[in-house]
Amino acid sequence: MIFSHIPVLQVIVPLVAAPLCVIFPFRKFCWTVALAATLTSLWIALTLLITVYAHGPITYELGGWAAPWGIGYRIDILSAYMTVLVSLISSVILVFSPRSIGAEISNARAHLFYTLYLLNLTGLLGIAVTGDAFNLFVFLEISSLSSYALIAMGQDRRALTAAFQYLIMGTIGATFYIIAVGLMYAMTGTLNIADLAQRLPEVMETRTILVALAFLIVGIGLKIALFPFHGWLPNAYTYAPSVVSAFLAATATKVAVYILLRILFSVFGPDAVAAMPIAQPLMILALFAMTIGSAVAIFQDDAKRLLAYSSIAQIGYIILGISFLSVTGLTGGILHLFNHALMKSALFLSLGAVFYRIGSVQISDMAGLGRRMPWTMAAFVVGGMSLVGTPLTVGFISKWYLIRAALESGWWPIAVLVLASSLLAMIYIWRVVEIAYFRGHPEAGADIKEAPLSMLVPIWFLTGANIYFGINTGDTITAARAAATMLLGGPQ
Amino acid sequence: MIIDAFPPGLVLVFGAFLLPLLPGPVRAAAILLLPLTTLALIISLPDGNLVAIPFLDYELNPLRSDKLGRLFGIIFSIMAFAGGLFALKQERVAELSAAFLYAGSAIGVAFAGDLVTVFIFWEMMAIGSGIVIWSAATPASFRASMRYTLVHFAGGVVLMFGIAMTIVDTGSIAFEPMRVGSIGTWLILAGFLVNAGAPPLSAWLPDAYPEASFSGSVFLSAFTTKTAVYVLLRGFPGTEILIYIGVFMIFYGIIYALLENDMRRILAYSIINQVGFMVTGIGIGTELALNGAAAHAFAHIIYKALLLMSAGSVMYMTGKRKCTDLGGLFQSMPLTATCGIVGALAISAFPLTSGFVTKSMIAQAAVDQHMLYVWYALAAASAGVFLHAGIKFPWFVFFQKDSGLRPDDPPWNMRWAMILFAGLCIGIGVHPAPLYALLPFEIDYVPYTGPHVVAMLQLLLFSGLAFFLMLPLMKRTLTLSLDFDWFYRKLGTVAALAVTDKISRIRNRAEASGRRLLDTTIAAATRPVKPRGALARNWETGSMVLAVTVALGLFALLFF
Amino acid sequence: MSDLSELDKHWLVRKATIKKLWILGLLMLALTVVAELRVHMHGEFGLDELFAFNAWYGLGTCAIMVVGAKILGYVLKRPDTYYEGDDHDH
Repeated sequence: MIFSHIPVLQVIVPLVAAPLCVIFPFRKFCWTVALAATLTSLWIALTLLITVYAHGPITYELGGWAAPWGIGYRIDILSAYMTVLVSLISSVILVFSPRSIGAEISNARAHLFYTLYLLNLTGLLGIAVTGDAFNLFVFLEISSLSSYALIAMGQDRRALTAAFQYLIMGTIGATFYIIAVGLMYAMTGTLNIADLAQRLPEVMETRTILVALAFLIVGIGLKIALFPFHGWLPNAYTYAPSVVSAFLAATATKVAVYILLRILFSVFGPDAVAAMPIAQPLMILALFAMTIGSAVAIFQDDAKRLLAYSSIAQIGYIILGISFLSVTGLTGGILHLFNHALMKSALFLSLGAVFYRIGSVQISDMAGLGRRMPWTMAAFVVGGMSLVGTPLTVGFISKWYLIRAALESGWWPIAVLVLASSLLAMIYIWRVVEIAYFRGHPEAGADIKEAPLSMLVPIWFLTGANIYFGINTGDTITAARAAATMLLGGPQ
Repeated sequence: MIIDAFPPGLVLVFGAFLLPLLPGPVRAAAILLLPLTTLALIISLPDGNLVAIPFLDYELNPLRSDKLGRLFGIIFSIMAFAGGLFALKQERVAELSAAFLYAGSAIGVAFAGDLVTVFIFWEMMAIGSGIVIWSAATPASFRASMRYTLVHFAGGVVLMFGIAMTIVDTGSIAFEPMRVGSIGTWLILAGFLVNAGAPPLSAWLPDAYPEASFSGSVFLSAFTTKTAVYVLLRGFPGTEILIYIGVFMIFYGIIYALLENDMRRILAYSIINQVGFMVTGIGIGTELALNGAAAHAFAHIIYKALLLMSAGSVMYMTGKRKCTDLGGLFQSMPLTATCGIVGALAISAFPLTSGFVTKSMIAQAAVDQHMLYVWYALAAASAGVFLHAGIKFPWFVFFQKDSGLRPDDPPWNMRWAMILFAGLCIGIGVHPAPLYALLPFEIDYVPYTGPHVVAMLQLLLFSGLAFFLMLPLMKRTLTLSLDFDWFYRKLGTVAALAVTDKISRIRNRAEASGRRLLDTTIAAATRPVKPRGALARNWETGSMVLAVTVALGLFALLFF
Repeated sequence: MSDLSELDKHWLVRKATIKKLWILGLLMLALTVVAELRVHMHGEFGLDELFAFNAWYGLGTCAIMVVGAKILGYVLKRPDTYYEGDDHDH
């Protein structure tokens, strides 16, 4: 019965589709295959989410080998949530991609783009569904290696150095992760996440495990781009092709956060995490990320780079929510995971449309675009408002939870910081808005046209989602809270 | 989800998005009909929470209908109608759309039954009003709207923070009378007061309103400050500190208006002065005082809009706005002058005008509460209002000297808008019963008693005498007066606008050294985050690896 | 100014009219004070029980406000181009 194999299909579909694009290197064909694969993934992810909701976590044994020996996939509410997020964003971006890719990547390499994109998707989905710590590393490497290559496809020659730098840092991160997994394996004799969780408490106090934990936090921190491990991110996002920036910003760092959640709460468990000095340093780093990321973003001249620094700040919000170790905080963090993916993909895609029309994303080149590309820029404004946290957008919802979590824990200065950095966000978004709407001669750039419909529809789909989930908050909050409760060991 | 009635504010909010899409004549009809529809909806509302929407863990009540809310809803929609009529020939549709968004959001606040809804509409008002200022499309209005928006978003952040803390404290989002005490309630009060134009953040008002277009400032005069009055009435009645804040605002408004040369800035300062009366009334907090504050807000919207329409007409016809450039216009603009004078008499609370039947309630409440100094202050202030607005505005604009300008009265729509409001000023003054019936509390106040009329006439006419006796002292000069906005326009420009502003020319030595200190501090604070700063430049891979190693070591140390 | 130019003016701003207006105004002022003999005023706080309280209080406080504003003006007034210099972006 195919239905029972659905968990593995989540990974297999894009994995099988990827080589097809190499074998038949025709742009249109590759795009169709890729789109079909992601849409199937999305459908599977939604099916999984509904099943998990109804019947609780799903376990799947690869090749029928039982867990400690074989590789087990385990899909709980958080995994399902991540797969929906990743495949949803991926589908929308693929719809957007053909023209943008046509403009930014040479015809000869277009099929490679789709191959890499599918591999990346495979990796990200695999990380979310696997229940095995080593298998997770494999998927992490699949997604990482493909993303290095994707970034290197950027037109700007600096894309190469950016990709190389990311390669070094990403590899260090992954190596740290595998070192830690090795140490844990040495102490417990298992790689299965559920087994690890059972056996770790006995050896928790050993130095080996403590070192492993340090490796894990720093290693995953690198992949998350948590301050101060964010150095690779601005260049990578700035010089990558537009759709790659959008995809990575919306999904890759989010999946890295997912790994952190898994390791901290599913492997070590909330009690062990609360007993160790983990949350406090994470919180401090998160606060730095929030303020410094936003402050640096204000001074950027390149809109993509501005968004990159803003991402660093937003990652700070997510980590901040996690570091409260409370249901409200974790709900806020997980919500922001989803919400930030919505905002950033909408923002990066609108910049992709801008680049498609004017060939630049320098803020100074965007003068008068408010008049020339009203729909694109309006989407940018809505996405920006969401980033700032204006009511009726998703940004408000997640910030609301973060502030509530801070107040519940009695840390009102942190709530003040959250709001203050929202004001910083307002300033950097305003810079773009001001130039696009209030600068430039009314007659200038009369030849610039609005972006084509194939770009506007995906952009506005995401923009609409920013508003929809900002008003109808029921579904996302229920899912995020269920995930948070589950992670903290509450009733499922 | 329960929806028993359509939230009236949304008619204007949706209409705002519709206006740009409509062709000319249909648009004109919509501009007039949308506010009237809103008004009809409001009048037909029964009491009670008519809409309930689940949101987060709470239930939003965006349509709580009661007497107080309806009073403000009614005057806001009347205002939107008259403002729309006045602005009918405004070529920039953006301004009208923004004004409708602004008015609709103000009505939304008036009917908000919970703090989250208040906040949402509060921010929409900030956006709408910011665009109204911006649509004057002059460089000065660009910058003024930017400063305006920043102040209001800052106020919004304070408000949101207060709301969040209060909700966490009380577990309820209902918007009910609060006692100041916890940090949360203080912050809410502060957020409300920013919009009321209370010190120290009052300067946004005279800074921004006069930069709007001839029709934009009419809208602006009505909604932001009066919504603030409404939320204070609802949330903080009888909060003692409001008495002192109100009295301060009253005199601050008078003094600055006396110094001012720009006719619309005079009227802007007088908004603060008038809102001061209402805030004082709210602070006194008896039923009579609250009725007085609410009624005064109602009357104030009408006469202040009338005054700004009169000023707007002068500006529309002459293109000038400074008292030093104007004068003698009564000869060719008799209707505008007459309506301006009616508005001026109403703001001064002359008998037979709307101000007389509303403002005196606040003073009477002070008497009833035996608040000696408050009463003396209010009496002096009433004299001062006549001085700074009642005589000063019409005198310098329409009489004073002959400026040689002979403009006509404005087009028919502007004339009719003025006639409508002038009629209301007198109508309410002559026959206050319908307005009294709308007030939130039962009322048995009789404004027209012999002593009251005589006292008011004495007070006003003798302050008029003072004006003409001291006229030489009040010769208009080509000046502006420093206000609190100096702190962010001069001292703080660097802080707020470091991004866009080059260091400005320096006025004198004292300022120079102060600025230099500030500049170096800010430069030092922003250097790390500016391009090529330590935190913003491209990090070398080697140093990143080093950072990672150090972090790894630190974490390991931490865990041992 | 010759009489001819006086006649060119709007009747309301001719010198003769202004003189009449002053007389009329002062008469009205006197009338409001005299009215106090007929209408029973009831003070509340002491000062306001004095005769013609509102008249001299209005005159006095206004004088103080005008003078006060004048003095403050020396401190606060700036040429109305004060902010223009630094409002230019870039």
